[in-house]
Amino acid sequence: MRKESFFYVVAFTFIVAFIFVFIITLVNRATSERVARNRMFVTAQAFLNTVGKAENDGTKVLSEFSELFGSVEGESVVRADIDGESLLVKQFSGQGLWGTVTGVIAVTKDVTRIIGLDIISHEETPGLGGRIEEDWFRNQFRGEAIPENGIRVKKGEGGSDEDPDNGIVDGITGASLTSAAMEVIVNNQIAEFRGEENR
Amino acid sequence: MNNDTPAAILKRNLWTDNPIFVQILGICSTLAVTNNLTNTLIMTLAVTIVTALSSTTVSLLKGLIPRKVRMIVQTLIIAFYVILVDLVLRAYIPEISKALGPYVGLIITNCIIMGRAEAFAQSNPPVMALWDGLTSGLGYMAVLVIIASIREVLGSGTLMGYRILGDGFTTWTIMVMPPSAFFLLGSLIWAAKSIMLKKEAS
Repeated sequence: MRKESFFYVVAFTFIVAFIFVFIITLVNRATSERVARNRMFVTAQAFLNTVGKAENDGTKVLSEFSELFGSVEGESVVRADIDGESLLVKQFSGQGLWGTVTGVIAVTKDVTRIIGLDIISHEETPGLGGRIEEDWFRNQFRGEAIPENGIRVKKGEGGSDEDPDNGIVDGITGASLTSAAMEVIVNNQIAEFRGEENR
Repeated sequence: MNNDTPAAILKRNLWTDNPIFVQILGICSTLAVTNNLTNTLIMTLAVTIVTALSSTTVSLLKGLIPRKVRMIVQTLIIAFYVILVDLVLRAYIPEISKALGPYVGLIITNCIIMGRAEAFAQSNPPVMALWDGLTSGLGYMAVLVIIASIREVLGSGTLMGYRILGDGFTTWTIMVMPPSAFFLLGSLIWAAKSIMLKKEAS
């Protein structure tokens, strides 16, 4: 058969594509369970970090998670009792500058203070907007009071806002748009918590 | 390209015909991932593996591939290996997969891989193609590691996450943004070309 004939070209392309896609399907099936487990693990860890119960022992993360939060469905608000304090916790996702930011946020039952915030995934510029996952930024939310009209992320001045009562956190220098996006995301979550609380 | 000994290929891909300095290929990822050395190393390692494997595969199949669909088949092979790398990263090193995010998928569009498949693997035996792909990847890696080291130290004051410069150091924000990669890449090409020209003249 001639190599440049129409039939050969079609048959060759088909067979090559079939073989490669077949192998990928096999590998995907073989790893999908692991990938799902990794994702669950990361989410569980984020929940624990958010309420200040970070677990370093990898084998205990999942059991600790289900003990504290039970089974969590999507982005629904979860009520949890941590050290005798009743909290509202939820996973969130919102629009960052470049892509979706997902994470976990916890507030007190009456939605007057943020307990903590953790980032699960984001697509912000590494070193700029990507710094939202760094401790210094996230820790500013810990124990921060929530004013009537929500949290404000002000323009970054290279430091972090230490006052937990003013409802203001310092943004990231050089990443004003990501900082502004975080303000919107956090305030959306606060609005949802308030809706849940009033029900 | 008449003296295709392994040593000649190595020298060509690392220096005289370096994919970045001389061929100016793969610039997109050079700008994107070099603000952090750890990400750069993993990314370039992935590119090296994909280049080596796809070149070998193209070389193995070269007798069977019809000319008309040559490029499509090459792209298919490259995409195949990139997806495999992505799956392996996701399953076994999720932290790195998270850090690299969308960049892994973009390896498919790295011109170096297609360039080697088209320029070398199409007309050479599999073992040589493997070696050529590997050394091309290393040439790419060498340049990116230099740029990433400079950018991470000046831009974040760290190297592979470890603090190098004291807390008093004011980080250069420009260094973590894409423009600095242009400046550094330009300077590096200038330096490399000057050395090459000097050698040629003497």
